[in-house]
Amino acid sequence: MKVLSKEKLQTAFNKLNEGAEVFVPMQKGTQSGFHPWKSFESDKDALMLDALNVYLPPKNVVFPQTEKMYSIKQKGVEINIDETFENYDPTIIFGARGCDIKGILAMDDVFLTKGYEDSFYKARRQNNTIIANACYESGPNCFCSSMEVNPTDPAGADVIIRDTGKEYVWETKTEKGEAVTAVIADLLEEKEVKLPEAKPFKQNVDYDGVAEKLKGMFEHPMWDKLAEPCVNCGMCTYVCPSCYCFDIQVKMWGDEGYRFRCWDSCMYEEYTREAGGGNPRGAAKERFRNRFLHKLEFFKERYDTPLCTGCGRCIAVCPNGINIIKIIEQVKEAEINE
Amino acid sequence: MKEITNKIQEIASRLLQEGQVDVFLAWEQGGEAFQTRPYFARTVEEAKNLVFNEYSIHNIANSLLKFRDGQEKIGVVAKGCDSRGIVRLMEDNQISRDRLYIIGIPCPGMKDPLIAARNHSGFNKANESEEGIAKKCRDCIQPNPVIYDELIGEEVAPHFEGERFAKVREIEAMSPDERYKFFEDTLSTCIRCYACRQVCVACDCRTCIFDEMKPQWVGRENNTTDNMMYHIVKASHMAGRCIECGECERVCPVNIPLMVINQKLIKDVDEFFGPYEAGMKYEEGVKPALSMYKEDDPDNFL
Repeated sequence: MKVLSKEKLQTAFNKLNEGAEVFVPMQKGTQSGFHPWKSFESDKDALMLDALNVYLPPKNVVFPQTEKMYSIKQKGVEINIDETFENYDPTIIFGARGCDIKGILAMDDVFLTKGYEDSFYKARRQNNTIIANACYESGPNCFCSSMEVNPTDPAGADVIIRDTGKEYVWETKTEKGEAVTAVIADLLEEKEVKLPEAKPFKQNVDYDGVAEKLKGMFEHPMWDKLAEPCVNCGMCTYVCPSCYCFDIQVKMWGDEGYRFRCWDSCMYEEYTREAGGGNPRGAAKERFRNRFLHKLEFFKERYDTPLCTGCGRCIAVCPNGINIIKIIEQVKEAEINE
Repeated sequence: MKEITNKIQEIASRLLQEGQVDVFLAWEQGGEAFQTRPYFARTVEEAKNLVFNEYSIHNIANSLLKFRDGQEKIGVVAKGCDSRGIVRLMEDNQISRDRLYIIGIPCPGMKDPLIAARNHSGFNKANESEEGIAKKCRDCIQPNPVIYDELIGEEVAPHFEGERFAKVREIEAMSPDERYKFFEDTLSTCIRCYACRQVCVACDCRTCIFDEMKPQWVGRENNTTDNMMYHIVKASHMAGRCIECGECERVCPVNIPLMVINQKLIKDVDEFFGPYEAGMKYEEGVKPALSMYKEDDPDNFL
């Protein structure tokens, strides 16, 4: 099998960075997320490949928080599109966990299937290569294996690396993977090493039948109680590897400007506000309920897979202790009066 | 703490039983010890879930905003910061005194459940910081409740030691360029999740300026300019209102030192219009600094 010594890791990043922008998990200042390798400052930043994960998922690589779409010029009543900004620059996500890759696969479903292709997403995604970091040990909030993710052999990876302690076993999975493997071929050694053994999950969540059961639970009183501690910030949606909602807005100076899109959050009152001033999800509880129904029911109905990938980030960061595992458990236990 | 929990459960049960309150606001225990979170008990049965422990750090006064449009009578547990939050809400006519039954608790200083949760998550290489008394509690000047109907326990001395505005002075002493760099560095990492706004007890506007679309006062792009605009506008709205509970800084997922900005405004309001300290005392009809004007206010800067 092919092996990359950890000592050669930074050399590998530098080589890969010659032909693509490489994003690696790092603690950068106060922010822990996937940042460009070229921005790494060894005296200030820390590589986080050894940690279970980073707080901000890699979704921003294929779906940036703010993305310029096209620029506009206006002459009298005539408005012309000046330039579009579809971004085809190659990118590599290095060391993503299975849960986060599942998040990107969910976005593929949204942006590339069912008869509509989002050209901005497609441009970034088709030139994006994912090098997965297989997980052999779960964290206290991890439940990806209950949400259709295989942490040791994640779907959607172009290359899978497996941490044996001193080195990474390097397994190429796709054509895109072969291309990046070729770039660092001279750094890889041929060697037989023992693969790590997967440890059992600390959390096992029974998602079986939850989507179907939720169909009859829209008006269930449990949502009132569950939503009470929620302060309706958007933190859970922004640290989520699969939340993909966005808003399209415009910035104009006189007769010039541009359109851009930016992440939006179903937790915000403004998100569902309509032109006439009405709001179908005006109450905090309605927004809270929608987030969980989207994760656990609606997405499953449309794409046959849950939108929650079991990464556990929202559990770790929620200011008021909302725990999606507990919510799934309560749904399972809830009594429904037909 | 166990005694305080028992006492709270006892009082809450009594108030709910006698119909003196319709709902009682305190905390409940989640799965892990640190997973304590706000909880609203509506029945004697639910009152048994109430707890007060070393992780009851949230500013529970913020939860009162969920009840501002109703008529319910509300029992609420208040530490020093919570009580100052309650005063703020009453000053802003968000909730009236006669709807509240306040159980004051002199605060021994809390631990931060978020630090515990993050240390517990596996996402940190080493422990993020010590799981002792939270920073916001070490900075607290008012651990004792400033308003209450019943007090549980004895008053305690403030935890705060040292020079209160040391960090503010440090930034004031910077050159304009250094200062700009400092704010550029700290605010460029903001992900605009608005958690700092949502947990803030002084942020009680029904329609927030950041949610307004016509006109849109602050752009939605996640870049340094719009992030700075968000934080500058939010901070200036806090002038004379921030009760220094530190919740904004505590919940920030990217660890922005927001209290430095708020403290600068606390210091300025005190120096220019004071002596003034927000939410320290409730007097009916009295408005906080910067919430009213007089015709003879000095205007020589115009």
